[in-house]
Amino acid sequence: MIGRSPRPPLRPSGGRPKTPPLWIGCSMLVLLAVPAILAPWITPYAPGQQNLSATLLPPSRGHWLGTDQLGRDLLTRILYAARTDLSVMVLAQIIPVCTGVFLGMVAGYFGRGIDAAVTLFTDTVIAFPFYLTVIIVAFLSGSGQRGIYVTFALVGWVVYARVVRGLSATFRQQDWIAAARTLGYPDLRILLRHLLPNVLPQAIVVLMTDMAALLVAIVTLGYLGIGIMPPTPDWGTMIADGRPFLSTKWWLSALPGLAVVYTGIALSLIGDGLADRIRRT
Amino acid sequence: MTYMKENYRRPEWAFLSASMVLIGVGLLLVVAACTKQPVGESTSTGGSFVYGRPASVTSLDLHKQITSNNAFAIDKIFEPLIAFDSKGVLVDWLSESHAVSPNGLTYTFVLRKGLKFSNGTPVKAQDAVFSLERHLKLGGPLAIKAKVASVTAQDERTLVIVLDTPYTPFITELSNFSNGILPKDFGGVSEEEFFKKPVGTGPFTVKAWDPAGDLTFAKNVKYWQAGKPHLDTLVYKLIQDDSQAINQLKTGEVQGIESVALENAAELAKGGTAKVLTNGSWITEQLFFNTLDKYFSDVHVRRALALSIDRAGLTKAVTFGYAEVARALLPPAIPYHANATVKALDFDLDKAKAELAQSKFPKGFSSKLLIASGSGTRAQEAQIIQAAAKTIGIDLAIEVVELAAFRQRFFAYDFSAMINSGQADSPEANSILAFQTDPQGFSKSYWTHYTNDKVTSLLYAGQGTPDGEKRASIYAELQQILADEVPYVPLYYPSILKAVRSSVEGLVVLPNNSLLFQDVVIKGK
Amino acid sequence: MTKESKRRAARKGGPSPIFIWLRRSLARTIAVVAAVVVAVFFLIRLVPGDAAKMILGEYATDSDIQAMRTRLGLDFPPRDQFLRFLLQVLTSGDTGKSLVYGVSARELIFRRAPLTLLLVGLAAVLAIVAALFLALLAATHKDGPLDHMIRVLPAISLSMPVFWIGLLLILVFSVKLRIFPVGGVKEGLGGLLHGLALPAITVALSQVPSLVRSLRVQILEVLDSDFVVTLRAAGLPSRRILFRHVLRSSAIPAVMLLGVNLAYLMGGTMVIEQVFGLKGIGTLLFAAISNRDLPLIQGIALYCALAVVLVGLLTDVGAGLLDPRTRAKP
Repeated sequence: MIGRSPRPPLRPSGGRPKTPPLWIGCSMLVLLAVPAILAPWITPYAPGQQNLSATLLPPSRGHWLGTDQLGRDLLTRILYAARTDLSVMVLAQIIPVCTGVFLGMVAGYFGRGIDAAVTLFTDTVIAFPFYLTVIIVAFLSGSGQRGIYVTFALVGWVVYARVVRGLSATFRQQDWIAAARTLGYPDLRILLRHLLPNVLPQAIVVLMTDMAALLVAIVTLGYLGIGIMPPTPDWGTMIADGRPFLSTKWWLSALPGLAVVYTGIALSLIGDGLADRIRRT
Repeated sequence: MTYMKENYRRPEWAFLSASMVLIGVGLLLVVAACTKQPVGESTSTGGSFVYGRPASVTSLDLHKQITSNNAFAIDKIFEPLIAFDSKGVLVDWLSESHAVSPNGLTYTFVLRKGLKFSNGTPVKAQDAVFSLERHLKLGGPLAIKAKVASVTAQDERTLVIVLDTPYTPFITELSNFSNGILPKDFGGVSEEEFFKKPVGTGPFTVKAWDPAGDLTFAKNVKYWQAGKPHLDTLVYKLIQDDSQAINQLKTGEVQGIESVALENAAELAKGGTAKVLTNGSWITEQLFFNTLDKYFSDVHVRRALALSIDRAGLTKAVTFGYAEVARALLPPAIPYHANATVKALDFDLDKAKAELAQSKFPKGFSSKLLIASGSGTRAQEAQIIQAAAKTIGIDLAIEVVELAAFRQRFFAYDFSAMINSGQADSPEANSILAFQTDPQGFSKSYWTHYTNDKVTSLLYAGQGTPDGEKRASIYAELQQILADEVPYVPLYYPSILKAVRSSVEGLVVLPNNSLLFQDVVIKGK
Repeated sequence: MTKESKRRAARKGGPSPIFIWLRRSLARTIAVVAAVVVAVFFLIRLVPGDAAKMILGEYATDSDIQAMRTRLGLDFPPRDQFLRFLLQVLTSGDTGKSLVYGVSARELIFRRAPLTLLLVGLAAVLAIVAALFLALLAATHKDGPLDHMIRVLPAISLSMPVFWIGLLLILVFSVKLRIFPVGGVKEGLGGLLHGLALPAITVALSQVPSLVRSLRVQILEVLDSDFVVTLRAAGLPSRRILFRHVLRSSAIPAVMLLGVNLAYLMGGTMVIEQVFGLKGIGTLLFAAISNRDLPLIQGIALYCALAVVLVGLLTDVGAGLLDPRTRAKP
């Protein structure tokens, strides 16, 4: 760490500095999540309700955002897609975060042989072409949502492992860890009660960006035709389905795309806010 | 840190940042301007036609190919004795005339005078004998199905083929690209060398070829149709992405694209720079059932599902007017089609429910519908069919798998229902019918395992009967049985779509999806 | 290198630390590449579908397909295939002849690799320059409107899938404005750069947000640090401090982060190449996987793994050169 002498707080007005990004980001997410959760009760149509004589309609009083190629209401589908995508985004991260943080801590704390082994494993996973992994997983465990969970469980942990490993290696050198060891605490306890709380904030910051990246990856998989399966609404497949109509009915792709960007910005702001908070403590 | 901020905010800093941005943008524009290649076409006849295709040409050995990426390159280099025009009507091509004996066993072809291969050697009947015998010996995916007893060259311009049993589809078999004529003994070079730089009678020859990329053809100056082709070069450019292809067409980086998704066609036709050429195809999009499946072996189940699908609505929603609703198996571009006359299971929900009530599963059931990924149209069709099935109590889950896995699955009969298309490779009713109804044939009735003795006997009768009223009634009866028992439900006949620049004239779209380039002229920009 | 190991090495007159590092890196490279190659070899054979069916299409007979499989060598049991494969790789660095294209896999890969490498390199340069510039601006105007803007705007490109950004750029700059070609590259260095400009910008746009974020933090730390304060106290002009000292310390994490991202990119240019119609390794891999072209898939996996590890090593070397304190411990 770069040497820094202690400095007095700079704000002339005193008090803890506010973190607008954090609050803006959180409220953006809430603004999206609430209608999504309430969707089954507030939407007038079902997401799969087709109407072959009312296809590709522009926004109107009956359909606020128009209809898609099979006459399904776009607004309903976007909200239901929020349910699908947001939940996949969160659930798909559970295993990667746990394994990544754990492996990173172990590698950074113990160092030497374990570190070398974990690093080798990490490097191998990074060197494996991503699309190959996706295809192999898609066939061995089915494509669609299940495939996405498995794929990210297999490759998503790497970024957490790297970050946490770096942090753990640095912390290991520091006084407070040395003190705990002198006191004779078992390693597992040090890992869980001392190291973990200190690497977790940074890991959560990474999580925010990673979730946005995951959402984008799901969308890209939809574009490649191996994402979430129809007829489950999903922003990625909606964007892909709307692509042929880009110059005539651009809102079919643009609106789900906007939803993706919106979510990404919200997550990004939360990540920034959290990062600021950590830096200040 | 406020004191630092003030210092860093000094005007020099702003000036520096602004200039960096300007320099960056400037550099980029300079590079762009200096290297700007003229995007557009030549103004005279001659010139180059760049044709965007989604797959590359991997082999030019005509007797071993069947897929269109190679077939439509082979048919520019080699030509058969007989060919079909844009309406699917057979015309003499390399032969100036042909005759069939009354008993249907002897076929005599007389070659045109003065025919030459692209290297100048004259074409003789012995070359045709060599070509056909090689095909017969190798078999290959488009093997000649007629039982050929002998192929002989009566003299330098006359070819005689004798069959063991009459086989009416034989003449259309000969019009297939796989029966193109090549020089005897490969003109003296080894087989491998020959197919790297093939010599044929076709309008173009191979100039440069990357099997994983583009193929460049040069004009065959010795082509037997005088004055043609007008183009100097023809380039088969590999463009895997749909949007890329369309955008390249819009800017003139390509002059034509092979594969136009139905949903894009409408948009292209509207802009002024491109036009869409259509022709009736030999393709029928169908919903196939595995007749060995627990649920779909029951004919009432199949009929109920067929009755529940609004084919007209489906066709309108996914094909944007570029297809015709299908009620019978054969597309209208194939002789002996019956789309107008057949009594099909048209959309009727009440009848559908009644039909299901007669089956072994009156309360409905759950099953799966298999489709290959990569086609937006098919995904939409699947969702429409899924919704239709739901209305009568059948729960179809959609399974999307990647193409290679899809083929593996249905080849192994590992499916209950699938959406796929049947295609003829010559203007011949038997082509599709044999593939889809012959349980002894290798495809086991297009992997439905549909077995109906009456149908099979009708099929073989049709193969032996010469063209005419009798043959027509055989095929009418056959298609009616298929429409009644629906081992597959015909959905629509997609039109062939080719998109080209408005300045392109003279392009002929063949019903097998190929193009004739020998008349093409590019007018102006 | 710790002081003890350096002293030990010097005293023994044994191998220099560079040699030890080289040896270790070589071992690591071989281990990673071997692991990837073996894993790919066996895993891809578990996936349904085979090249014969892809080459012959849906209207081919069972016997045709069987004949093709034998011709392509797909009939042998996996262990035999693996031994032949090993032999071929170790003797000629080639993983076999492509089943679909009939050309040696290595030749296909080497023909296409330069384009992908150039694309990634160009994108890296653009990304680093833009990110450093933006991060410096943001850090020196901390909490001002410029800072907030620089922190939010990149989030937009982070949340947009790469194919979408690419499509939009094509629509605006290629179709409407005709400044750049829609796809592919032309002859010559100029044509190459011209065709790669938009794809490189697209890739760079996807890298800039994360780079800017960490760089900004790093620069803030450096600006706050003792040695910079000392330099200011010594009366050095702020611009000199900025460019000579601050930049140098912040460049290291930038390079490290970029290295990691580039590694990810190596196997992931597929979508970009697809969208821009570039004939690079990405589209080759996509076609190979779709066709189950085993030798080609194995070849690409081999060379990509190699490239990824090499980039990682280069990053370590670069970081080590720029700041000796970050050199990895043995």
